[in-house]
Parts: sequence; C-alpha cells; structure tokens
Amino acid sequence: MTLLLGALTIGLILSLLALGVFISFRVFDFPDITTDGSITLGAAIAAVLLVKGVNPFVASAAGFCGGAVAGATTGVLHTKCKINGLLSGILVMTALYSINLHVMGKSNVPLLSAATFASDAERILTALKGGDTALHVLGWEVAARDAAVLVLVLATIVLAALALYAFLRTDLGTAMRATGDNPQMIRALGVDVGNMTIIGLALANGLIGLSGALLAQYQGFADVQMGIGMVVWGLASVIIGEALVGTTQLGLVITGAIMGSVLFRLLVAIALRAGLNPNDLKLMTATFVFAALILPGLVARARKGAGRA
Amino acid sequence: MLEVRNVFKTFNPATPNEVLALQGVDLTIERGTFVIVVGTNGSGKSTLLNAVAGSFFVDGGRITIAGHDVTRWPEHRRATLIGRVFQNPFSGTAPDMSIAENIALAARRGRRRGLAWALRGNFADEMRARVRGLGMRLEERLDNAIGSLSGGQRQALTLLMATWCKPELLLLDEHTAALDPKSADQIVRLSDEAIARDELTTLHRGRIIHDLAGAEKRRLRVDDLLARFEEVRRGEQLDESAAQLLRRAYV
Repeated sequence: MTLLLGALTIGLILSLLALGVFISFRVFDFPDITTDGSITLGAAIAAVLLVKGVNPFVASAAGFCGGAVAGATTGVLHTKCKINGLLSGILVMTALYSINLHVMGKSNVPLLSAATFASDAERILTALKGGDTALHVLGWEVAARDAAVLVLVLATIVLAALALYAFLRTDLGTAMRATGDNPQMIRALGVDVGNMTIIGLALANGLIGLSGALLAQYQGFADVQMGIGMVVWGLASVIIGEALVGTTQLGLVITGAIMGSVLFRLLVAIALRAGLNPNDLKLMTATFVFAALILPGLVARARKGAGRA
Repeated sequence: MLEVRNVFKTFNPATPNEVLALQGVDLTIERGTFVIVVGTNGSGKSTLLNAVAGSFFVDGGRITIAGHDVTRWPEHRRATLIGRVFQNPFSGTAPDMSIAENIALAARRGRRRGLAWALRGNFADEMRARVRGLGMRLEERLDNAIGSLSGGQRQALTLLMATWCKPELLLLDEHTAALDPKSADQIVRLSDEAIARDELTTLHRGRIIHDLAGAEKRRLRVDDLLARFEEVRRGEQLDESAAQLLRRAYV
C-alpha cells in the first residue's frame, strides 16, 4: 500500500512535468530539452529556500519562476538569436548544470530538518485528526503523512490543470495554440510568433520547475543529477495519455497527460518491485518512447499492406 | 490607400541564384477599388503581394497603407491593416482547433490578446449568423476541428476570417487556384459579396490575362494590362524605353 501511495504521489508530482512537456512538444511542436535542467533548477531553488526557512508555498512558487526564466531563455535563443530549437534547449540545459551547482552550493541538498509541503500537510492532518498517525482507508492502514501528502499533491495538480485548461481557452492561450498549429496563419492575424513561443516555453518550464520543487520536497532532497532523462519521462507520460484518451480535445488531452504520468509511474514501480534493475530504468523508458513513436507508423503500414493483399 | 513607391527586392543577392524580383515597382490603389495583378510565372506577382503583406522587408522604396508607412513594420504588425487569404486553402486556418476558435482568433486580428475567454458568450450568435451567410451549413459544426473540412470550406472560412474585422486592405493570393471549379465559383461569389458589402480595397494576384473570366474581367484596369504588356515585352525582348514610353502615355 505504501508503495502504491508513493507511486501515485510521485506520478502526480511528475504530471506537472508531463503538462510542461505537453505544452512544448504538443502545443508548440518544439522539442524542448531545457526540461532536464529546469526540473533540477526548480528543485534546487526550492531546496535552498526551504533550508533557509522560507515558507514551502513561496519556495515552490520560486521553483516555478526559476523554470520559467530558463524556458524563456531557450525561447529567446531560438526566436531572437535564430538558433535551432533543439540546440537552444541543449545550450540552456548544459548551462543550467553549472547554475544548479551554484544555486545549491554542492551537488546535493538534503531537506531532512526543513519544513516542506509534506511536513506541512502532515501537521495540518494531525491537527485535524488529533494525534493519530495512521489512517484506515478501505480497510488498509496507511501512514497519515503519506495520505496527507497525496491529498495535497492531488489538490495542487487539479488546480494547476484547471488553470492551464482555462488559460489555453483565453485569447492569449488560443493564440498560443494556433502558433503551434499554423504559424503562418496566426502571423497574418497579427500575432508575434516569436514572443508567443517565448511565453509558451516559459510557461512549460515553469510547470516543470514547479514539478521539480515538489519532487524535492517529497523525496527530501534536491540533487544536481535528478533531471537526467526527465524530458523522455515526460514524453512517455504524454504518449500514454494520448493513447488513453484517444482524442485531441483539449480538456481530455490534459487529463490524459496526468493519467499517463501516474500510470507510467505505477508501471515503473511494479517493474522495479518485480526485480527490474534500477540502472536499466532510463534504457527502458527510452525504449518505450521509441516504440511508442514508431509503432503507429508500422501498424498503419501493416494494415495498408494487408489491405492490398 | 495602398501606395508602393519605387520598391526593390533582390533574393540571394551576389550569388549565382540571384533573382531581381522587384525593380522599382510603383503601385497606387485607391480606396474601394479591386486590382488584379497578372503576369506569367516568375514575374514577381507573389513577391509583390508578400512585400505588401510584410513576409520580408524590401531592399528599397516605401510602402504606405491607409496613411501608415509600413515599410519597416513586421508582418504581424501589418496584420492590423491587412486581411489575407492564401493560395493554399490549408494555410489560413489552424487545423486542430475548432471553427469557433479559429474565428475567435480572427476577430481579434491586430488587437491585444489578454486573458479574457476566447469564446465569449455574446459572440456565439454573431458567429452563427455570419457563418450561416457562407451557405455551407457550417454553423451547425462550429465545434468541429477545421482540419475535418474540405479545402473549399476552409477557404471560405479563411475569407470570412480575413474580412471579419474590416481590413484596410484585403490581399487575395490566387485564392481559388487550388480549388475545384465549383468551390472556386463559390469563393469568387463570397469574395465579391464581402468586398461589395464593406467596400474593401483589394489586391488580388490573378492568373495570366486569358484565364480571366466574368467578374474578374470586368475589374481589369490599366495596371493589369501593363502587366500583360510586361509579359509580352519579356517574351519579345522589347526595348525598356518602349515600355516607359507606353507607361508615360497611358498611366
């Protein structure tokens, strides 16, 4: 049960990463590798602030802002300096590795004694329930801390997803979607495609930074290596989500990305429990995304071949 | 209304692929008139339209629209003055977004886009009424993705979107060329209606002169005939001075 709760919580936290990747890869069709650096940046900023005793809410918001600045930088490199999109992301990601080390001052910042959203959630729950550290949910005994954290994370994700959904239906948000869908058209309707891309990448990496800030608080540390391969992880979540909902309707796609993230984390937890070597995790993730990218084409070709025969 | 003065544009200058696309082009279009630019492939019709739309900056000369010197304005800024329909019916609409969302985008052409709902409640009735005017029964499918429509339907919507807010100048870039004859007729009729209703100033890239028929032929002006002459001149290597002589005599 603890394992399930843990996987669920991390899956939900990483669904913010999935939403960010959804914005850059799907809305803008922009392969944004900044992700690997911005998730660590969000974690690093939040961790350092928390150690200094800053309110967890403020620290998480700072993580969002850090990620947003990183994303905007990638956007400026791409649109104003005319650097290839993939390369812009790689440049910023590489630079962020050093910046993250400077922010943290060392390669790992533990949060064992700092007040985090997790400890806050636990405190609120104990105040409500009065001292008992175990809860009974559907006959299972779960640690009060785990349950409280899950509820708080769930509430955060729901809020973030609703805000994103609402934003993408405003004048600015629809212009942003159109920028990814048909830049020629939206330019002829008076929208500066470059600025729109910068704002979009800032938003995407802001969400990713927030995801990193929450992840650091949940796992109790920020580490300079924690971002490696996260863009592929997010992409895997988005792809699973698309397969789950099977439509391009905005609300469902956003819900799908969240569900995809949770499901993917659960699959990974089960695989690890069944004996998968943790060292193989990134290889498996990459293989999965590879398969998800080429399978639809192969299936279509096989069908076409069968139709001809 | 539209004034193009002595405009030059060279693509790939100082390379073997150098193209002298526009060389001292002058063009004046009065308010409320319809001008068709005709000429053979490669004669610079598209370049002229793109220069006016702002797809690139010209090397020399001046472009003025409705009293604004737009020569150094980027394309998205000129969109405050210009409505545009592309040759490719897929260029003017965002395929993954709904008809309603596409129109909402067009309704804010050249205006600030903030955090208000794109599909405001009071907007739906106006939208339904104007889409019904296309006579394609699309008003029943406002929530469908535009990508699911035919080329003719998408071009009709692009036209509606380009003229949703009355543009100072309407650019039609051979916008019926990629359509089947029936859809093309429909689009020509819709263009005529919109232009007549709002007394729009229109610059249209047409095909060479013997392709023009009916309504388009009636709108031919001296400029068009000069373009036709230009074509002949190129073909027969006539002296440049003859062209100038004729220009002085007739324009």
